Amino acid sequence: MSRYTKSFDTIGAVLLAIVWIAPLLFAVWAAVHSTSDAVNFRLTSPWTLDNFRTAWDGAPWAKYFLNTFILVTIVLIGQFIVTTLAGYAFAQVQFPGKDFAFLLVLLQLFILPEVLIVENYAMVSRLGLFDSILGIGMPYMASAFGIFLMRQAFKSVPIELDEAARIEGCSRLGILLKVYVPLAKPTYLAYALVSVSTHWNNFLWPLIVTNSPDTRPLTVGLSIFGAPENGVDISIISAATIMSVAPLLVAFLIFQRQFVQAFLRAGIK
Amino acid sequence: MSGKPFVSLDNIGKRWNGQLGVEGITLAIEEGEFVALLGPSGCGKSTTLRLMAGLEIPDEGTIIIDGRDVTGASAAHRNLSMVFQSYALFPHLSVAENVMFGMKVRRVPKKERLEKMHNALEITGLHGLEDRKPGALSGGQRQRVALARAIVAGQKLCLMDEPLSNLDAKLRAAVRKDIKKLQSDLGITIVYVTHDQTEAMSMADKVVLMKDGLIQQIGTPEQLYSEPATTFVAEFVGAPPMALIEGAALEGFSKNQTLGIRAEHMEFVPTGGRLTCVVTDCEFLGAETFIGLSHERANGLTVKLEGKANMALGSLVDITFDNKNLHVFGPEGRRMKNT
Repeated sequence: MSRYTKSFDTIGAVLLAIVWIAPLLFAVWAAVHSTSDAVNFRLTSPWTLDNFRTAWDGAPWAKYFLNTFILVTIVLIGQFIVTTLAGYAFAQVQFPGKDFAFLLVLLQLFILPEVLIVENYAMVSRLGLFDSILGIGMPYMASAFGIFLMRQAFKSVPIELDEAARIEGCSRLGILLKVYVPLAKPTYLAYALVSVSTHWNNFLWPLIVTNSPDTRPLTVGLSIFGAPENGVDISIISAATIMSVAPLLVAFLIFQRQFVQAFLRAGIK
Repeated sequence: MSGKPFVSLDNIGKRWNGQLGVEGITLAIEEGEFVALLGPSGCGKSTTLRLMAGLEIPDEGTIIIDGRDVTGASAAHRNLSMVFQSYALFPHLSVAENVMFGMKVRRVPKKERLEKMHNALEITGLHGLEDRKPGALSGGQRQRVALARAIVAGQKLCLMDEPLSNLDAKLRAAVRKDIKKLQSDLGITIVYVTHDQTEAMSMADKVVLMKDGLIQQIGTPEQLYSEPATTFVAEFVGAPPMALIEGAALEGFSKNQTLGIRAEHMEFVPTGGRLTCVVTDCEFLGAETFIGLSHERANGLTVKLEGKANMALGSLVDITFDNKNLHVFGPEGRRMKNT
């Protein structure tokens, strides 16, 4: 009985994995063949890198890459600062209304960011950040998920360490930076992976808030590149897609374990 | 020193949500003294220590350390060091970094820092372990790192919160000696919290016995042993503790008195003893044997015999003792003037 269940599980897992990876595999396949070879699945047809060349020349990719890179970096730095301070406050500082404030933060988890797009748009415009990379990143810096994660991480730090540091003459900020932050390193790494992948892939908000190639991240650039009015060439679009996701894919392969743990951990705690 | 105590607590009280923490703690500690705060769990000894450390702020009373009123001062400004029960070593720092943590925070120059760190590791016998992380150390080594961290800063007052309770019995005896030696070598003042009366009695110059947030008795180990102030002290101090007998059970004492007697002051007699008891227990400890006895009007009766002794459990025996060895306690359990 259990043997059957087990093989059933395995078959199911493999099946799901194939379904999940199929689009990626197809994209790779299409990217290295000419369009007609790709869509007709001529397995013996010659491989080519022309698609990449054409795609690369078709749009300011270097600029897009740089934009995305700056975007995820800015968002991550902002998130680290905000979530560290807020997480510490919720974990270890006593202040009136703390539970209520934390409840409000948690409520944010229930709201899809897309719902807030109009409000965010108005806010970003008011701040004069429209069509800027900071404008894309700003609404995500006070991440409720990040605050929650940091609060849990800081709560698990033994209070004696805090007290020992206090007796040794550490200030509050000193304790946060010298004791809490280093001990939460795995959480920071996990959170960074989640954050970077989310914002690397984010599309709708950057599409709305940017309107020049100078600020566009990869995702927006890719969608404009692949828009029907430019003519649909599946091989070239696939090549551009592969280029866009390649850095993230490589990072995923390197940090696979931490990546999976990050999601698991976030679920358990 | 002009007669002023090094550390003084005056009528300290601390409550949590109306519940009693400690009450009316008045205590004077001389420089260089080894003071043990002793008592069962929940008696407020750790709270008292934390109040001294500045980790808690008292609701009332004043605390003076080294001539400065530090009642409301933060832990950082009290110039003391502390050893925690869990050692509280920073797991992400190496032994050397752990020891130097405080000096780094206080911006001690690097050269001096290294010098002092090596010195402290030398004293605590941790040489060669500088680069290990606490996770890669044994319990005893971790304990010594915590000690090294406490002494490295050269603070004159060191607070210890049950530092030996996580060690096995053999190691505990060894470290006990080390701590005592450290204290006398460095001339520091130590306040030491423990629930183990052997630890307190063997190490301390002065023992503060607490119960339910109140001080029961302050005195030298010798005083606590031979002149317990209350029946609680009598029953807490000594191994075995003092036996308590109802006053009415003996001739010449009134009903509302309680009498205490130590194991070494009782002996068996063939007949005509002052109490007739039942043997309940024979505990052989090598050099001596403790015979546990029961009597309906006494508690904790134990007689000490030299060497190995065997007595049939359940047999009736007569014991006797001298009135001069009896401790007399009044109705509230307070010691009455020596008669």
